[in-house]
Amino acid sequence: MAVDSVSVGRHRRGYYLYLIPGFIGLLLIVIGPQIANFVLSFTAWKGVGTPRWIGGQNYQRLLTDDQFWGSMHNTLWYMLSMTAIPVLIGLVLASLLFDYVRDQFGEKLSSFFRAAFYLPQILPLTVAGVLWGWILNPVGVANAILKMVGLGAFAQNWLGDATYALPAVSLVIVWIQVGYCLVVFMAGLSRIDPSLYEAAQLDGAGWWQRLLSITIPMLAPEIFVVVLTTLIHALKVFAPVFVLTQGGPDDATLAPSYLTYYHFFATQRVGYAAAVSTVQMILTLGLAAIFIWYQTRQAAREA
Amino acid sequence: MTALPRLALVAATAFSLMAGTALSQDTFNIWWFEGADSAQGITWTEALEELKAAHPDVTVNFEQKTFDQMQQSGSMILNSAEAPDILEYNKGNATAGLVSSQGLLTNLDEAFTAEGWDKFLNEGQLVLSRYNELGVYGSGSIWGISTYGEYVSAYYNIDAFEKAGVNVPTTLEELPAAFDTFKAQGVVPLALGGASTGGQHLLASLAYTKADDTWIQNYQGLKEPLDGAPYLYAAQTLTDWLAKGYITKDSTGMNDDDAALQFTSGQSPVYVSGTWNLGNFSANIKDFKWGQFVIPTPKFSVGSTGNLWVIPKGSKNPALAKEFISLLLSTKYQTEQANNGGVSFGADAAQVTNPVGANASAVFKQIADKQGLGFYPDWPVPGFYDVLNQKDTGLLQGTLTPEQFVEEIKEVYDDAQMSQ
Repeated sequence: MAVDSVSVGRHRRGYYLYLIPGFIGLLLIVIGPQIANFVLSFTAWKGVGTPRWIGGQNYQRLLTDDQFWGSMHNTLWYMLSMTAIPVLIGLVLASLLFDYVRDQFGEKLSSFFRAAFYLPQILPLTVAGVLWGWILNPVGVANAILKMVGLGAFAQNWLGDATYALPAVSLVIVWIQVGYCLVVFMAGLSRIDPSLYEAAQLDGAGWWQRLLSITIPMLAPEIFVVVLTTLIHALKVFAPVFVLTQGGPDDATLAPSYLTYYHFFATQRVGYAAAVSTVQMILTLGLAAIFIWYQTRQAAREA
Repeated sequence: MTALPRLALVAATAFSLMAGTALSQDTFNIWWFEGADSAQGITWTEALEELKAAHPDVTVNFEQKTFDQMQQSGSMILNSAEAPDILEYNKGNATAGLVSSQGLLTNLDEAFTAEGWDKFLNEGQLVLSRYNELGVYGSGSIWGISTYGEYVSAYYNIDAFEKAGVNVPTTLEELPAAFDTFKAQGVVPLALGGASTGGQHLLASLAYTKADDTWIQNYQGLKEPLDGAPYLYAAQTLTDWLAKGYITKDSTGMNDDDAALQFTSGQSPVYVSGTWNLGNFSANIKDFKWGQFVIPTPKFSVGSTGNLWVIPKGSKNPALAKEFISLLLSTKYQTEQANNGGVSFGADAAQVTNPVGANASAVFKQIADKQGLGFYPDWPVPGFYDVLNQKDTGLLQGTLTPEQFVEEIKEVYDDAQMSQ
């Protein structure tokens, strides 16, 4: 017995060797820069030269920075368009495609739709951004169509008016995100025992009833993963804002990541940019921790 | 051995051979970001061909960059081993000034006389080449050389002006009067890309009409808290033009390319922007005659000498880099540049056949000779470019009053002024 346990221990120790390359990578690419970023947030630095230690001044400045708080406020919008709306649309669409379109029109059409909805995820965002820029331009496609069908009164300066810019950028984000939710949910749906649906159908449950009482509860793990990953994305949304509005007009669509980028590259307040991203990181980690704790608790309860 | 690994082996050998030859030969790496169809891009490509022909043993590697790329990460590139032997770099305190003060560039004081550049450039054309030890332009050593000029002016549709019976405005009062005539005929006279640089260039062009030497020096030199009066005038004028319909409110949703398209397609007869449009307009406007006039101003216009050729500290081929600068300054390529529609300082006027380049070079000389280059509004403060763009759109969409606009840009300016 004793001999056995020693050999197992030796085996285990041997396995640790295989973790070294990964750990070095983690250290170099994730942990190192995080620490560097945290340290930099206490300095004034122009990106070249020697950083100067200034203590908590960057954080003090954050407290009264309207741009920062504006971007935080906008993040609430981005959570809506990155997470809440795509998850709802994704659920309805996934379940429609899975048990209605597939049953009525066949596997091929359902796969086609799935691929089509996922396309925005594959399309390079810069390309999508240019296209949406053309669509939402004051003399662009959206307004042209509105005018053509006699709804010219609804034509707007979509990206250039503070009232509409945030909803317009959000719309583009929803368009991008729905595909991701849809694909994960459809994968999850194939895991659910079809007999549940058959039984419900025999009992006379309608489509909505089946969605609410079978699909959503059974998909809980997938919904959970999607909500967590998209919320993290919402907190660090950058590319759509960068390609569509550069945070404008008059900071109406500013996001924290864009503010970081702006201070890092444009104002050369690298220390301040580091402070913004440190706050952002703490929020993201906090959110993830809450979610994972909640999930573990749920899982334990179910077990 | 199966086919695939064999192929990989062949490829690997080929690559190592190529790398080997590249290393054993003399290489010259050069970057610039002027567009390939711009006057500079065309001229520089020609000059580079001559350089290649004169040095057949040197492998010349050219990389096309973008303005934004260099604006945003230029200092980091220059601070790394990846820097080329010579590059076009953005002029101004926040860019060339910063890297020169950090010792990342080669000092060109000696080369200036040794290479004979002093015969082509006067002190006025060196203002933006000189940076002191704090990286502030105007005095100190020479760190870069510009070979062309730039200025912001009003492009106008000559045919539309003639048809509407409007004369080219020569005073600031005649400008809105001209707009009014067009407006009465149902035309939005002024195309404006409020979402990008167009807004701030128009605004600064108007502000500079109320600026004197002291104001410009204080403003660009970050010497005092911002005196907002010229900007207030500009902001009020812009709001007024907006209310009268000379500019559309939609301009906040348009960038410079969209606005330029409104001009080139003939929808709007006036477009205020820089000489970097000359190549585009020469190539793409076929349906009407066009020209340019400077926004009427007592002295200052938005404009400056162009971006700088700088030689990084780690340049492995500074001699060739200097030779390239000499080529660009030579009468041959200055004339060539004007003939490609560019703004030259040293063209042989008799040899310039392109009316666009001849006119632009003449206008630049006119502004430069009266010391009227007011430079760009975003220079004094790092990041001011974006601040002006954001606040501009606020003004144009009506969420900021002219007073609030001045207050908000003053806050950023004064903050930078205090903490420099």
